[in-house]
Amino acid sequence: MATDRTPKYRQEIQQMMFVSGETAEPSVETTTLIEEIVRQQVIEILARSTTLATRRGVRSISTDDLIFLIRHDKAKVSRLKTFLSWKDVRKNVKDSDDKGGADAADFAAADDPIAGGVVAGPQDVASKPKNKRARVGLAWDVNSFYSVQVPEREDEEDEEEEEQNYATLQRLAAADERTKHMTKEEYVFWSECRQASFTYRKSKRFREWAGFGIVTESKPNDDIVDILGFLTFEIVQTLTEEALKVKEREDREKNRRGGADNGEDSKKRKRETGLFDPPEEGRTPVEPKHIREAYRKLQATPNKNIAMLLHNGRVPARMPLRLI
Amino acid sequence: MSLGHHHAWLPPGHLRPPDDLHDARSTNGYSRSFSGPRTPQLRASADADGLHAGTLISDADLATEDDPCIAMFRDLYRRSEAQINNLFANQKSAEEAARSAVPEAEEPPTQSQRADESAPPPAPAKKPARKLDDDDYDDYDDDDDEDDDEETVSPPKPKSLGPSHDPSGLPSPSRPSSGSVSVVLDVQKELKKETLEDIRKKLEEDKKATEEAAKRSFHTLFYTLENDRDAMLDQQRLEESERQVEAEMSGQASAGNNPNPNSNGYGSLSSANLGASSLTLKNLIARIDMKRTMVQASDAELRSLMSEVRKNRSKWASEDKIGQEELYEAAEKVLSELKAMTEHSTAFLTRVNKRDAPDYYTIIKHPMDLGTMTKKLKALQYKSKQEFVDDINLIWSNCFKYNTNPEHFLRKHALYMKKETEKLVPLIPEIVIRDRAEVEAEERRLQLAEMDGADESDDEPIMSSRGRKAPGKSTKKGAAPVRNTPSGSEPPAGQASQPPAPVRSDSDVAMEGTQNGFATPPPGGTQTPSDPAGVGAGVQGSQGDAMEIDGLIPSNNNTLTALPASGVESEDPEYKVWKQVTKKDRAVIAAERHRLFKGDKLNADEPALLRTKAGMRRWLRNQMQINAEGDKARESTVQGMDPGAAGETLAEGIEVDEDRVIPDYYDVMSGVPDLPPHLSWKEDSDGNIVDASEEFLRVLPKGSFIQPDSKLSRKMDANMRQMQETRKVCSKIGVVKQMQLQSQMYQNQFQKYQPEPFVEHDVPAHVMNDGGPVVSPWVCKAALQRSVAKIFYHTGFEEYQPSALDAVTDIASDFFQKIGETLKSYMETPKLPATDTLEPTAAPQWKRAYTEPEMVLHTLSSVGVDVESLESYIKDDVERLGTKLSTAHDRLRSLLSELLRPALADGGEDGSSAFQDGSEQFIGGDFAEDIDEDFFGFKELGLDKEFGLATLSVPLHLLQNRMYNAAQAQNTSAAQAVTLFPPPPAYPRITSETLPSQIGLVQGFFSAKLKTNSNEPLVEDLELPPKQRPMAARPRLPASGKIQPPSAPSGPTTSPQKRPLPPSASSQQFASKLGMSEPSKKKVKKNSGAGIGASEEGDEALPGVDGTKASATNDSKPNNADEPSMDATPDLSGKGDMDVGLDGVGAEGNDNAASLTNGTVAGDAS
Repeated sequence: MATDRTPKYRQEIQQMMFVSGETAEPSVETTTLIEEIVRQQVIEILARSTTLATRRGVRSISTDDLIFLIRHDKAKVSRLKTFLSWKDVRKNVKDSDDKGGADAADFAAADDPIAGGVVAGPQDVASKPKNKRARVGLAWDVNSFYSVQVPEREDEEDEEEEEQNYATLQRLAAADERTKHMTKEEYVFWSECRQASFTYRKSKRFREWAGFGIVTESKPNDDIVDILGFLTFEIVQTLTEEALKVKEREDREKNRRGGADNGEDSKKRKRETGLFDPPEEGRTPVEPKHIREAYRKLQATPNKNIAMLLHNGRVPARMPLRLI
Repeated sequence: MSLGHHHAWLPPGHLRPPDDLHDARSTNGYSRSFSGPRTPQLRASADADGLHAGTLISDADLATEDDPCIAMFRDLYRRSEAQINNLFANQKSAEEAARSAVPEAEEPPTQSQRADESAPPPAPAKKPARKLDDDDYDDYDDDDDEDDDEETVSPPKPKSLGPSHDPSGLPSPSRPSSGSVSVVLDVQKELKKETLEDIRKKLEEDKKATEEAAKRSFHTLFYTLENDRDAMLDQQRLEESERQVEAEMSGQASAGNNPNPNSNGYGSLSSANLGASSLTLKNLIARIDMKRTMVQASDAELRSLMSEVRKNRSKWASEDKIGQEELYEAAEKVLSELKAMTEHSTAFLTRVNKRDAPDYYTIIKHPMDLGTMTKKLKALQYKSKQEFVDDINLIWSNCFKYNTNPEHFLRKHALYMKKETEKLVPLIPEIVIRDRAEVEAEERRLQLAEMDGADESDDEPIMSSRGRKAPGKSTKKGAAPVRNTPSGSEPPAGQASQPPAPVRSDSDVAMEGTQNGFATPPPGGTQTPSDPAGVGAGVQGSQGDAMEIDGLIPSNNNTLTALPASGVESEDPEYKVWKQVTKKDRAVIAAERHRLFKGDKLNADEPALLRTKAGMRRWLRNQMQINAEGDKARESTVQGMDPGAAGETLAEGIEVDEDRVIPDYYDVMSGVPDLPPHLSWKEDSDGNIVDASEEFLRVLPKGSFIQPDSKLSRKMDANMRQMQETRKVCSKIGVVKQMQLQSQMYQNQFQKYQPEPFVEHDVPAHVMNDGGPVVSPWVCKAALQRSVAKIFYHTGFEEYQPSALDAVTDIASDFFQKIGETLKSYMETPKLPATDTLEPTAAPQWKRAYTEPEMVLHTLSSVGVDVESLESYIKDDVERLGTKLSTAHDRLRSLLSELLRPALADGGEDGSSAFQDGSEQFIGGDFAEDIDEDFFGFKELGLDKEFGLATLSVPLHLLQNRMYNAAQAQNTSAAQAVTLFPPPPAYPRITSETLPSQIGLVQGFFSAKLKTNSNEPLVEDLELPPKQRPMAARPRLPASGKIQPPSAPSGPTTSPQKRPLPPSASSQQFASKLGMSEPSKKKVKKNSGAGIGASEEGDEALPGVDGTKASATNDSKPNNADEPSMDATPDLSGKGDMDVGLDGVGAEGNDNAASLTNGTVAGDAS
């Protein structure tokens, strides 16, 4: 990892980690590490989708290319679709509001950008039924099997969609649980954190950071950047959650062992690391080693890939980077 | 001779320690009939003699003779062995009976000198027979011992009689008789010599006996090949050293030859020592000498050739040296024996290398080794047995001297070798080589003195040498006399009968090697000089005993076993015997094998293993035996004998070297592999060949190459069908949309989407000749490809590139292969002991390491698949896809119906039933009927009456003719089937010939047309393709809405349109001028310039016809206004002829339609 690089997204990452469940304040090393990981992932995403686009004979990346990369994570795809459709809705509303100049303000306020959009989506449905969500079609859906565009129909609710929304609802429920006992100030902080994004209103910084113009064309579509912002949030979230799991296990192990022989030592360390503890919870923050372990776990090659790539009993020396 | 005494006739259990030999020997001469006892054993006969058969080996370890228990056990063992042998005896029952009878009869008479003697087989009854045999012997004028006569049992006869005789003839019983016969002769002999000879013989026989024993053991033990490699290597080393010696010798020889006047260094053969052969082959040798320069062979080679030619003579034979042949043959034999004990002799084969032992030559002043001895032997440097023996002993003593450490391994080897030496040395006749001249002089002197042959001494060695030559060829025996005759000193020669007979007579394989055992006259009772060790004495002693018991072999075993007991190793004696006896043969066989498999691979270029003649003969004999046994069951023995005898005589001619001491199963080439039954050539009663292989063909079961029926596959198939249906709908939607966009359509514009249903074809009926799956990579790959393609389609790809299909197929097959391999390795995991039983005594239960579900689960997880993912695939990608597909289908259908709403909702393909919901009346005008309104004015035209229409509505297919046409185009087949009547024959074309048949009115017109057409036949409009048909431009209202005045003289066409003439028209005109074959009459009429028009004017001025005709050229007619009504009638009546499809039903088009009718129609109408 390039150590000379100055971290650009420390605050955002901190906020995202907070949203993802990390309550303590992570160290600079941790956030830098996460940032580098995210950056690596983003570059990989861009490179691959550029390859895909080139294969189609197109120079610029389309949203399909990006979604194609994460097609196996159905929950994520569905979240992304939801996000995109709401983004569409918002744009339309804005357009019409610009014309009509009516109640644009409150809608804009209600809409969380990026990550918030996913969360806020369902709540908004009821509030504005007149703007129909455009469903985002994917090139590999059933609808694209046919030469003729399959007409949408209102009445049928996609059961798949429902199923996929279930995961989103779970997340919302968890967030709800966390915010239940928050004071107003805390909740404000929380909702601020939820707005953290790599891309929102930082498009230029993001472009430089992610190496646009080097990896891919320099003028990306707005949608692309938004999707990337969404994905980066997902990456940070996954990493943090995984790292928290790692840390939790480690702590459990340490407690078990520490209670047995030298509780003194562990206590000392606890005090030492306690500097970063947020006062209310008294937890130690996630350290780079946890992040590394989490990253390693997420990069583990699944058996199927090994079985597929196994030739004469040898696995290729380098496995491709896995997208988180 | 005191042959009659059977001293050592001990029962098997009473084998005596070697030490007692002496008395036995002193009292009696030695029986020589050693071969006799052997035979029964070989035969595995069950008679009394055979008792010992099995015991050889067991007796071998008789270190503890004193132990009565052991003796008893041994005895028991022997008995049981004998019984077993009895069971498996090959011999004919008759013979057996005779045999067994003899010993029994004989037993009483035998003088048992000892109390412990038991069942001495010697048979006085035999004697007469043997005596008779003696006569036959005369031809074998062996000057050997006189004793031999008695002993040599009818050699020729046994042959003819079959093997049965030999065993009986040979056995020791003969001895007493022989003793009596040969008494006279015995007297003449020196006792000492006799003993020596006897000892030698005995030793040889011992060896034979061991061989026999080994052979016997072949039947009781199965030996493995594990030692073959060692044997082979040892043998190779031995051969190597011999070759070295050979090379050195020949080098010396050639060096010696150099002084020879012959420039090429060849010595003359005659000068070379060819031994006795030079006498008989004198002429040949002289001849060869003359042409010596032309013979490309060294002296040594020639010499060996010569000696081969004269098989009877050994290469040692020398005319000048008396006794050389015998001595050297024996010595060589001993030497090679010693060398052949490669286990121990290796260290002594070559000279001690100074590098290995720097101080060796300081300690050992007179080095000696077996190789040097061989050299010396070949250089004929030994003058007597003593020299030879001294050299041998020098080797061992050198070894002991140098390796003083008692633990030294070489000492053990030396000790062993020494023992062996002691055993072997007695085989060498006590001979001092003398010059022939000297001997002859002596002989003459002796002859003069007394008639009895003093030369016996000379002959004995011959005997021994002959005996040593295992093959025991009769020819060889014949040779001996030849040699002896010159000396002329053997009066008893005629008498002396050779023992070889038994050998020959014995057809048994095992017997081949046994000839050695002929006793030479045992003159004296002295011990062999050479054996200082107790063992050696023991050997002899035991021999003596054994012979008396007829149990030679056990005694032999004693000698054999004594060695290992005291010697280096303690091995299973039986096994040891085996190793010793068969070593050479095994080495040969192993070397052959090794040659083929050198380098751990099959060397195809190596020469194949070929069975020798002898091997073939052996095999034949075995077959015969088997057959004979089979025959014996049902037929008499006589029958069985015949083939045996025949085979024997046959084999006799090719008999070469049959001294293989090795069981048949050991040699790859000892048998012919059995034919698999289905390959054998069988004929039924009619002489037709029964094809046995047919029954192994089987038909490949159906369905091996198609997808098995399952819920999943049915679902997938349903999905695919659904997709096809949906695609059909899609294509319709596409057509509709296209029709909405396009104003004009072409016949073939829309290909009907007619997907074929998916059918998996199985392979055609296939016949295989063995079980298991079909190994046919291409078919299997194709089947897999089809499955992959199916999945592709199921995933939504309508078509795919073959390369993509190939790639995915390869990946899939690779993956499935891995799955298979993993599953296999799980299946082949070694079984585990079942853990549920706690008590250790219970027999271990074994269970599979994994149950079947476990295997599958393990396999799946190791290839990265789990049941959940499979399930989710089925749920998401198959079942849910199915529902998605059906919803998509529904939606598309509804979309299609929306698109077709006005024309056809859910109607039939041509939309005729599209308005069955009741709304059709509005389109067809039916609603007007309800209010009695003649909406379309049909009633006014009288159409209702003309067509009998119930309702005055416009047929829908006329209204929606575009739709109708599209539908027609899509199912043209249906439309074609509708034509009920054949179309009327077309009118003949109007040519200048047919012109007169036309009515006069139009003749002028047509003639003018023909003229412009350069007298080519005129073409009807209907014969033209639709687009080329002349069509009057549709009059249209200009944008201004005003109808232009009809007279527009400026242009050739009066149509309001401002367009210029269509290019086709002008080109048509141009073409017509050029006399194109098919100018359009109408077009010409319509479009041609004013010049033509002028002529037309004239024609058209004619009334009557003009009305209709004018419609064609309506532009120039003034009475245009009332034409429509005039034309209405022909229009409707001629509707069948008219192409309604070309332009709607609009009333405007009516006149244009009328214009299409050609002149003839117009004429009819008028």
